[in-house]
Amino acid sequence: MAKAQVTASSHRGAHRRGSVHPAALLAMAALIALPWIEPDKFALHVLSLIAIASIAAMGLQVLLGYSGQLSIGQAAFYGIGAYTSAFLTAKLGVPFPLALIGAGIAAAIASLLMVPITRLTGAYLAVATLGFSIIVYLFIKNEEWLTGGSYGFIGIPRAELFGYVLRDARSSYYLNVGVGAIVYFVFARIEGSRFGRAINAIRQDADAARASGIRVTLLKSECFVIAAFVAGLSGSLYAHEVRYLAPNDFTFWKSIEILIMVVIGGVGSLAGAILGAAVVVGLPEYLRAIGDYRMLVFGAILIATMLFGEGGLAALAATLGRRLHALARRLILKPTASRKAAP
Amino acid sequence: MSAATHGEGLLEVRAVTRRFGGLLAVDAVDLAVRRGSVHGLIGPNGAGKTTLLNLIAGVYRVSSGFLRFATDDITRHSTAKRARAGIRRTFQNLKLFGEMTALENVAIGLHAQTHAGFFDAVLSTPRHRREERGITDRSMAVLQFVGLAGLAQARADSLAYGHRRLLEIARAIVARPALLLLDEPAAGLNVTEAAHVSDLIARIRDDGTTVVLVEHHMDVVMRVSDEITVLNYGRRLAHGTPAQIQEDPVVIEAYLGRAGETDRAQA
Repeated sequence: MAKAQVTASSHRGAHRRGSVHPAALLAMAALIALPWIEPDKFALHVLSLIAIASIAAMGLQVLLGYSGQLSIGQAAFYGIGAYTSAFLTAKLGVPFPLALIGAGIAAAIASLLMVPITRLTGAYLAVATLGFSIIVYLFIKNEEWLTGGSYGFIGIPRAELFGYVLRDARSSYYLNVGVGAIVYFVFARIEGSRFGRAINAIRQDADAARASGIRVTLLKSECFVIAAFVAGLSGSLYAHEVRYLAPNDFTFWKSIEILIMVVIGGVGSLAGAILGAAVVVGLPEYLRAIGDYRMLVFGAILIATMLFGEGGLAALAATLGRRLHALARRLILKPTASRKAAP
Repeated sequence: MSAATHGEGLLEVRAVTRRFGGLLAVDAVDLAVRRGSVHGLIGPNGAGKTTLLNLIAGVYRVSSGFLRFATDDITRHSTAKRARAGIRRTFQNLKLFGEMTALENVAIGLHAQTHAGFFDAVLSTPRHRREERGITDRSMAVLQFVGLAGLAQARADSLAYGHRRLLEIARAIVARPALLLLDEPAAGLNVTEAAHVSDLIARIRDDGTTVVLVEHHMDVVMRVSDEITVLNYGRRLAHGTPAQIQEDPVVIEAYLGRAGETDRAQA
C-alpha cells in the first residue's frame, strides 16, 4: 500500500491545535507600535476601518470557511449592529461598552430568524441570506422614526471606555484593533477544538457528520449566530468611528465586500480574512489618486488574486514565506554546501 | 457460533417498505437482529440491501412499517438521533473528512459522547482539556485496534484505499455503538485485506457491538456472520445460519448458484 503523506498534514495539524501562530503575535506587536511610528490621523482612521471590516470578515470566515455556509447577507447583521449601537447611545444614553455588546446581541437575535434556512445549502442559502439583507436595508431606509431613513442617523457619540472618551484617532484605533484582536484570538481557539472539528466535518461531508451523531442543523445555526454577533460588533464600532450612518452603507454591496474579503484572503484562513479586509478597505483609499479608475484597478486586482489560486492571499503569503525561508537558508548554507560538493 | 447462543433482539425491522416513485426498493421486509451477533445481509445487485441499511440508519424514512432499536420505536428518529442512541455506520462509497487527519476523523465519532462547546474551547476550560485528552486517547486506541496507529497524523485523503476503509470503521466504532451497520466494508479489497476485515468484524462483535453486514464478498459473509438474511427484489427471500443459507435451494437458485460460481472463478 502506498505510503501516506504525513508531513503536510501534521504541519497543518500543528496550527490547528488552537495555539496562536508566532506570526500573529509579531503582527500584534507591530499593530501596537504603529500609531507611534505613523501618527497620521487619516492613516489611523483607515486602519480602524480595516480592523472593523476584518471583524465582520472573520465572522463570515467561521460561517463560510469553517462550516461551509455561504452568506451574502452579512451586511444585514452589520447594519443591525450599527443602528442598535447608535440608537442605544444617542437616544437612550446607554454607555458605549454596553451598546457594543447590545449591538452584537441584537444582530445575533436577528440571525435566529435565519435558523429555518440553515437547512439550505450552497446557492439556495446564499440567495436566502441576500433576501434577508435586502429586507433589512429596506427597513433601515424606510423606518425613519427609528433609523433616520435616507437622511441618515446623526449625532452618534464617540466611543468611551471607563469614563474616558476616545477623542483622537489613536485611541479609537486602539479600540478597533483591540476588539479585532480579541475576535481573532477567540476564533483561533475554535480550530482544533471539539466544536471546530464538528463544523469542519459538516463542511466536508454533512451526511457523514450526521451519521456520527452531529446535530448538523443546530451547529450550522450556531455558526450563523456567531457570525452575526461579530458582524453586530463590527457595525457598532463602525457607527462610533464614523458617527453618521446612512442606509447606503448597508446595501447588498456591503455583503459582497465582506465576502470578497474572505475569498481573496483565503477561504478557511482567519488571518486571510484580515488580509482581505486590508485589501478591500485599504486599496481603494490608496488608489484615490487615480479617481474613477480606482474601482477598475480594484476589480482587476481581484481577478488577478483569484488567478493565483484558490488559497487566496493567505496561501500566497505562506508560499512567499516558505520561498524566502528557503532562499535565506540557501544563501546561508551555500558556502558549506559548495565546499562539501568540491572533491 | 450458532444463533441460539445469542441474546435478545437488539433491532427489529417489521414490515418495512420503501418506495421511490413507482419502484418498490424494499417491500415489507422483516429483520430481527440479535444482540451480540453479526447479521449478514446479502442479495444480488438492486436487491435493496443498501436501502434497508439507509432505512435503519435514518437516511431515508420508511414508507410504511416499523423500526425498534433496543426498547425504543425509532421509526421517526433522525439520523443524528439514531447515531447518538448507538447506531453507527460506514458508507459503501467512503465518506471520510478528507482534509482532516486520521485521528481527527476518529475523534468526530466521539462528538456525541463529549460536551465541550464553543465557550469551553475559547476559554480552554479544564473540562475542555480533559475531554480533549480523553478523545485523543480513545481515538488512538481505536486506530491501534483497526491497525492504523502509525497513520494517526496522516491526512485522510492521502491514505491508501484499504486504509480508508479501516478508518471509516474506526470512526464508526470509537463510541462503542450498540449497533454497527457496515455497507460493503470489503468492497475493492484484495483477499488479504478482506480477511483482515473479516477478522476485524469478529473482534468488533466480541467487544460487544452488534453488526449488520452488507457484503458481496461471500467468503467474508460466510466466515463472520452468525445469521444471514437474503434479499431479492426488495423482498426477504431467506433467513438462517450460513450453513442453512448455503444449502437453501431457493437461495442457490436466485443468487448463490451463479454468484457463488463467479466468485470462485474470480478467486
